[in-house]
Amino acid sequence: MKKAPWIILAIFILLIIGSQFFFTVDQTQQGILIQMGKPVGETLGPGIHFKLPFIQRVVRFEHRILVYDAAPAEILTEDKKNLVVDNYSKWQIIDPLKFYQTVRNIAGGQSRLDDIVYAQLRVELGLHTLTEVVSEARSILMEKVTVRSDKLAAAYGIKVVDVRIKRADLPEENERYVFDRMRAEREREAKRYRSEGMEKSIKIKTAADRDKAIILAQAYQEGQKIKGEGDMESIKIYADAMTKGPEFYDFIRSLEAYEKGLNNGITTFILTPDSEFLKFLNLKGASSK
Amino acid sequence: MPWDWEEYARRKGKVNVPFQIDQLREKWSRFQKFAGPPIVVVILILIWMLSGIYIVSPDEMGVVKRFGKMARLTTPGPHYHLPYPIETAIKPKVTKVRRLEIGFRTISPGPPAEYRSLPEESLMLTGDENIVSVEFITQYKIKDPVDYLFNVEDIPKTVKDAAEAAMRETVGKTTIDEVLTVGKFRVQQETKQLLQSILDRYRAGVMVVAVQLQEVHPPKAVIHAFKDVASAKEDKVKFVNEAEAYRNDLLPKAKGKAAQVINEAMAYKETKIKTAKGDTDRFLNMLKEYKKAPLITKKRLYLETIENILSKTRNIVVPAGAEKIVLPLGERTLPELKK
Repeated sequence: MKKAPWIILAIFILLIIGSQFFFTVDQTQQGILIQMGKPVGETLGPGIHFKLPFIQRVVRFEHRILVYDAAPAEILTEDKKNLVVDNYSKWQIIDPLKFYQTVRNIAGGQSRLDDIVYAQLRVELGLHTLTEVVSEARSILMEKVTVRSDKLAAAYGIKVVDVRIKRADLPEENERYVFDRMRAEREREAKRYRSEGMEKSIKIKTAADRDKAIILAQAYQEGQKIKGEGDMESIKIYADAMTKGPEFYDFIRSLEAYEKGLNNGITTFILTPDSEFLKFLNLKGASSK
Repeated sequence: MPWDWEEYARRKGKVNVPFQIDQLREKWSRFQKFAGPPIVVVILILIWMLSGIYIVSPDEMGVVKRFGKMARLTTPGPHYHLPYPIETAIKPKVTKVRRLEIGFRTISPGPPAEYRSLPEESLMLTGDENIVSVEFITQYKIKDPVDYLFNVEDIPKTVKDAAEAAMRETVGKTTIDEVLTVGKFRVQQETKQLLQSILDRYRAGVMVVAVQLQEVHPPKAVIHAFKDVASAKEDKVKFVNEAEAYRNDLLPKAKGKAAQVINEAMAYKETKIKTAKGDTDRFLNMLKEYKKAPLITKKRLYLETIENILSKTRNIVVPAGAEKIVLPLGERTLPELKK
C-alpha cells in the first residue's frame, strides 16, 4: 500500500550512487582525476564524466583567464631613476596536471607567477630609460616580459597571456621634483606671454609716437612750404610794384615806417630849428632871408 | 483555587490528543485510496520537468549549459531547458551598457552630483615627463555572451585594469599640453582602440562602447602655475589692447594738429599775398597821382606824416648845436629828422 515513499527513496538512492559514478565539469573549469593520490587520465573538459566511486576523486581547476594583480614595486630604470610600477598579469592554467603537481592551487600559482614576472620586469626595465618606459618602449617591453614569463611559467602548467604595466609613476620624492619643474616651465611660459604682450604693446605705442611725430613734421614741412609760397608771392608782388616807382616807394615806405615806429607816445623829439621841419620856425633864419 | 488541568481531564475520563495529526493521516490515507501512489510521483516529476521553462527578456540572451558544458544559445522569448541538474540557463544582459569610473567615484548621483577624486588612479606621467590628472569613464557591453561568460574571470576588474593600462600608455605618448587641450579627442580614440585590442586578446567578449575623458587637469600642486599661464595669456591681450587704445587716442589728435598747422600756413600765405596786393595796389594808385606833381606831393606827404607824429609825441625845441647839452640821452635815442 505505501509504495510512493519507496519510489522516492529509490530515486534518491539512485541519485547518490549516480553522483558517485558521474560528475560534471563547468564550462569555466577543467578537471583531473586523482586515484589514490595519483593523477590519472587526460585533462577533462566541460561536460559530464565518469569516475570510479570512492577510489577516484575529481579536482577542478579554473579554465578562465585569471588576473594576478601584483603589489606596486619600485624598479630602477636604465638611467637610474626609480619608477613605481604597478603591473598585472593575465594567466591561465593550461596544463592542470602539471599545475597540480607543481603548485597545487591558485595561490601557489600566483606566488610563482609573482617571482617570474617581477624578475623579468626588473631585467627589462633596467634596459630602458624612464622616458622609454613611460612612452615609446612601453608596449614592446610588456610584450617581451609576457613572452619570457610565459616560457618560464610553462613549467608550472601556466600560460601567461599578458603582462601589463597598469601604472608607472614616480616615487613621491621624485614627484615633488617633477612638480617643481612643471611649475618652473609654466612660470617661464607665463613670463613669455607677458613679455610678448609688453613687446607688442611697446611696438604699438612707439609706432604710434613715431607716426605722430611724422604726421606733425610733415604738417610742419607742408605748412612752411605754404608759408614760403605766400612769402614768395608777396615779395614778388611788392617787387613788381616797387620797380614801377622805386624812389617814391622808398619815400612813402619810410614815412609809413616813421609813423609806425615813432608814433608810440613815449618818444621825445629834441628838435633844432635848423631841421627841415622847423625851418620856418627859425626867426633868425627867416629874418636873414 | 487554581485550575488543575490534569485533575480536570481525569474527571472527564478522556485526554485530548492534538486533533491535526489524526486528521491529516486520515486525509492522506483517503487520498491514497482514491488516487493511488504513482500519481504523487508523477506530479513531482511533472513539477520538476516544468522547472525547465524560462523566459529570455528582450535585453538578454539565453545560454544553456548541459552538465556544465555550453550547449546552445537562445534568443529572447519563452524557452525550455531540461531541468536541473541536467541543464541550466544563464541570461546575461547583452544590450546593457556598463559604466566604469576611473580616477574618481560618484558619491551621490545628485543633482548636484558629488564626486571624489582618486589621485592614485588619476595621476599619470605624460610623454614629456610631466604629471597630469586624468579622470575618465569607460563604457562597455557584451559582444559575445559565450566569451563573456566563460573566458575571463572577473570582467569588470579586467576592463578596469586594462583601461587604466591603456590610458596610461596613450597619455605616456602624449605631451601634457596636448592632453590638456587639443589632444583630448585623440587620447580618447587611441585609448578606446588599445583597450579593445587588449580585451580581444583575452577574448573577453566585451565591446568597448566609449572611453570618455572627464576632468583632465594638472595636479593640485602645480595648478596655480597653470592658471597663471592662462592669465598671462589674457595679460598679453590686455597689454596689446591698451597699446592700441593709446594709438587710437594719439593718431587722430596728431592728424588734427597737422591739419591745424596746414590750415594756419594757408591762412598765413593768403594773408601775405592779399596784404601785398592791397599794399601794392594802394602804392600804385598813389604813384600814379604822384607822378602828376611829384615835388609838391612829396612835400605834402612828408609834412602830414611829421605832423601826425609830432602831435602825439613830447617835443623839445633847442637851438642848433645845443642838443647834446640838453639831456644825456645818448645818440641812439636822437631821432634823425633830416630830409
